[in-house]
Amino acid sequence: MGKRNNLPIFLLLAVFIIATCGLIYELVAGALASYLLGDSVKQFSFIIGTYLFSMGVGSFLAKYITKNLFDRFIDIELMIGLIGGCSSVVLFLMFQQIEHFQFVLYFFVFLTGCLCGMEIPLLMNILKDRIQFRDLVSNVFAFDYIGALIASVLFPILLIPKLGVMGTSLFFGIINILVGVFLSFYLSKKLKNPIWIKMKSVSCLVLLSIVFFYSDDLLKYSESQLYGNNIIYKHSTPYQRIVLTENRGDYQLFLNNNLQFNTKDEYRYHEVLVHPAMSMAKDISNVLVFGGGDGLAVREILKYPEVKKVTLVDLDEGMTRLFKTNELLVRYNQGSLNDPRVTVINQDAFIWAKSAKDKYDVMIIDFPDPSNYSLGKLFTNSFYQTLAALMTDNTMVSVQTTSPYFAPKSYWCIHETIGSVFPNNIAYHTYVPSFGEWGFCLFSMNMQQRFTQLRRRVDKVRYYNYKFEELTNFPADMRTTEKVEINRLDNQILVRYFDEEWGKI
Amino acid sequence: MRNGVKSNQSRRGFLKATVLLALGAQFLQACRTKVNHIFLQLTGTNHILGHRLRFPDFPASTEVIEVPILIVGGGIAGLSAAYRLQQKGYSDFILLDLEDEVGGNARNGQNAHSAYPLGAHYLPIPNASNRELLQFLEESGIIKEWTSTGKPIFDEEQLSFAPHERLFIHNVWQEGIVPSYGISDAESAELARFFRQMQDFKKLKGADGKYVFDIPMRNASQTHDRTVLDGQDMLSWLKSQGYHTEALLEYVNYCCRDDYGTGIKCTSAFAGIHYFASRKHDWDDYQDLVLTWQEGNGRLASHLKKYVKGKVLNKNMAFRIDFKAEKVEVSVYDVAKAITKVIKADRIINCCPQFVNQYLLPNRTSITREFHYAPWIVATIVLRRFPFADGVPLSWENIIYKGHGLGYVYDQHQSLKQFNSPFVISYYHSLGDGDLKQNRKQLFAWTDQQWKSFILTDLEKAHYGIEKEIISMEIFRHGHGMISPVKGFLTSQARTELAKSIGDKVYFAHSDLSGISIFEEAFYQGLDAVDQLIADLS
Repeated sequence: MGKRNNLPIFLLLAVFIIATCGLIYELVAGALASYLLGDSVKQFSFIIGTYLFSMGVGSFLAKYITKNLFDRFIDIELMIGLIGGCSSVVLFLMFQQIEHFQFVLYFFVFLTGCLCGMEIPLLMNILKDRIQFRDLVSNVFAFDYIGALIASVLFPILLIPKLGVMGTSLFFGIINILVGVFLSFYLSKKLKNPIWIKMKSVSCLVLLSIVFFYSDDLLKYSESQLYGNNIIYKHSTPYQRIVLTENRGDYQLFLNNNLQFNTKDEYRYHEVLVHPAMSMAKDISNVLVFGGGDGLAVREILKYPEVKKVTLVDLDEGMTRLFKTNELLVRYNQGSLNDPRVTVINQDAFIWAKSAKDKYDVMIIDFPDPSNYSLGKLFTNSFYQTLAALMTDNTMVSVQTTSPYFAPKSYWCIHETIGSVFPNNIAYHTYVPSFGEWGFCLFSMNMQQRFTQLRRRVDKVRYYNYKFEELTNFPADMRTTEKVEINRLDNQILVRYFDEEWGKI
Repeated sequence: MRNGVKSNQSRRGFLKATVLLALGAQFLQACRTKVNHIFLQLTGTNHILGHRLRFPDFPASTEVIEVPILIVGGGIAGLSAAYRLQQKGYSDFILLDLEDEVGGNARNGQNAHSAYPLGAHYLPIPNASNRELLQFLEESGIIKEWTSTGKPIFDEEQLSFAPHERLFIHNVWQEGIVPSYGISDAESAELARFFRQMQDFKKLKGADGKYVFDIPMRNASQTHDRTVLDGQDMLSWLKSQGYHTEALLEYVNYCCRDDYGTGIKCTSAFAGIHYFASRKHDWDDYQDLVLTWQEGNGRLASHLKKYVKGKVLNKNMAFRIDFKAEKVEVSVYDVAKAITKVIKADRIINCCPQFVNQYLLPNRTSITREFHYAPWIVATIVLRRFPFADGVPLSWENIIYKGHGLGYVYDQHQSLKQFNSPFVISYYHSLGDGDLKQNRKQLFAWTDQQWKSFILTDLEKAHYGIEKEIISMEIFRHGHGMISPVKGFLTSQARTELAKSIGDKVYFAHSDLSGISIFEEAFYQGLDAVDQLIADLS
């Protein structure tokens, strides 16, 4: 007795849950599209349009379902749960793999929309003999719209911050399936094929719960796909994430998702970083390298037979160990870090420089770009002042100073900052295909030092021709008309410039 | 009936399945979230020893020490007095302090990852008129040199690094602590008007040609009548000036709580304006910059400690001062040896706060009631990482708009190293919502768990999920964190009365006698007491 009375209420509750879930899938698709494709207004608007249209298609198709309404209703429930719930997972994973991502995205939106569109007409069909038509229409739509409101409020406030996009869609997929599970047991007697339906619904639930449980790992996996090429090595050190990829025989090294070098053209960068200073310095027996844990700059340095000692200071032991031991990478740096003349020190450069006692003839400074306030400290006047204690009058120093083409303000800011400490300096740049135009700065404490005097050269150089003056000409699009400030610890203006300029790209 | 039974069975089955599923889900959830054990520690000033002053039952004295000058209290006032004595050629003195370490509010701690402050943590660029303070900074290597035009060049490594400050407001970290993200036009207009008015107060001078608002307070105009502003609370004054918007009131309230421990409802309007108008920013290059260190003002204390080397009696608490013939006799309880000694001094410089002095000297209790001290906590939190939050990156000062506490300082910010896990932050909170005595009771009554959940609730607003990243938390309690310049206090007789020296025997120096608890006031209190003592000597 009670059961028959309760049925409409349970089904209306189902409407409510279905409506909530339906809107959630729509919002998930919109959020995903704007995350992955950008232009959120356009993406949201297209997604909502497509979704509503496909709901219409679903509603239309619902009239062809005439038999076993309960069975079909539960089937649809399970399908929505599976497709809607997994949609974000599949889309995240596929984003890296396929060319027609938009097509897949809208296909998913259409499918979920279509299935959601079938639900309400089907339900009204089920309920039409049990409730008066007037009540039926108002109740169904009232619950439908309340569900929609709750979904749209919960989504930005609670769901995205707590569960994330993937978690949210999986969570609601599970809820959808739970409705199916509930109904398959509750309506057991009304079903044509109760055992089959029950089996289906429980296995769907188990499946989705497993995906939900591993969603964090899936997310990690999908992010690791961002590189496009084959990942051949992945390693996280306390300081950075090192990823090595391969593409048609060339290798690319990414540190925290930023391309560090491509074996195809890294020699251009490292030759231009190292050889000008090495060929002009009065003495080169004692060389210091900051950063450059890949050993590629050291490889260039060791080409000069006069070099007696190289000290490499790199924060990340994980990085230097990798470039000492990995067979493939050692082939590229020619075992430079294992050379008996080379000492590797894994310390914070600023702290090390403040306590170092030795004087160096040449210094090569190859820090990562100043993309955050932590790295920005290594490009301040305070840091360059600290270097003075490690220099003799004849020491030559070269620094990588980001791209004068993409980030002219950042580039000239570093140059001005160096100039505030070492007035005798010169800016130069070259073209590295993987990076684009790249800039450097060469300086010396000695005001008499000119940057034209070639004291020595080696033959094993592929790109640099020892005509330094060819690198010192800056066309107008690599200069800035704005006045740049000096980068100090208390203003870290460089990080702002850098963020402003690279943020645009 | 048969139907009913069957349906019940299937319902039971269904319920069973549901319960099992729910349990299963719980179990899965439990496997996913690892329980994070936070190492909790509740520490603080030695209030238990301090409370024995109220019921002195110390043993009879068994030791006598004679010394020409005795400094009682090793906070910044006491250390500055020692600095001044040495500077003037007096090196025969002893300094007493009841804690394990001198430094008072400027003390600091140290863990495996960073030094961290236990109280005061920065010094704003001093006014150009503070010659003695600037000289001390130069002697301490904080000022590197002076330009030909007489401008100091500060050591850049000791100036606060960028990014300086951020505010979590409307779910975003904005740059700077003045509300700007997502506030209304009316609010920003009011803030602009407020800052213009504060600029006028900054320049305002009394009939004697001195600034009305200046640091130290004793440099300020003595002819200007402070009673009007000091006689009202900051909130009433703000309202009388037509300031009503939430952003402005919240901001000024934050500033008052941060500097005085009490909010705008209790702080005097004179003190409230003083916060904005007393710093003259005499050098353009250093606008709004402050001097700060990983250990906070522990650095300044360590520079001052050089002048008391070998002269400090730690864990020694003075509990009575008597006048015998030409000498002053101070009864001292030595905690380590559990004995009482008597120190016979020609003169003493009393650098204790007045809530302590009422137990050392007679007839001060009733007048001391006019001194209000806000309780504070400083929690040092070590965490693996910060949960993601939108907006500008981690800064030196990080403040949560409308937060319970006063936000947190990132202690390793002043390190030259690369920022790296684990992070050490100092969370500040002043308990100054009116009834300070009640607040103080709460401070000591609450358990470590209560304080932990209070702090976490506050931090979670800006860093959802921070709890599982926390490794340890040390909660340092200051029963009497600082003097609070409540309505009427800066113009009260009580302050001048208790600051008066007793003959040429006892000289008083403490920032509570200035009414404002900042390094500069304590420093000049110490210097002034010594200068007066020396003047009396000659």
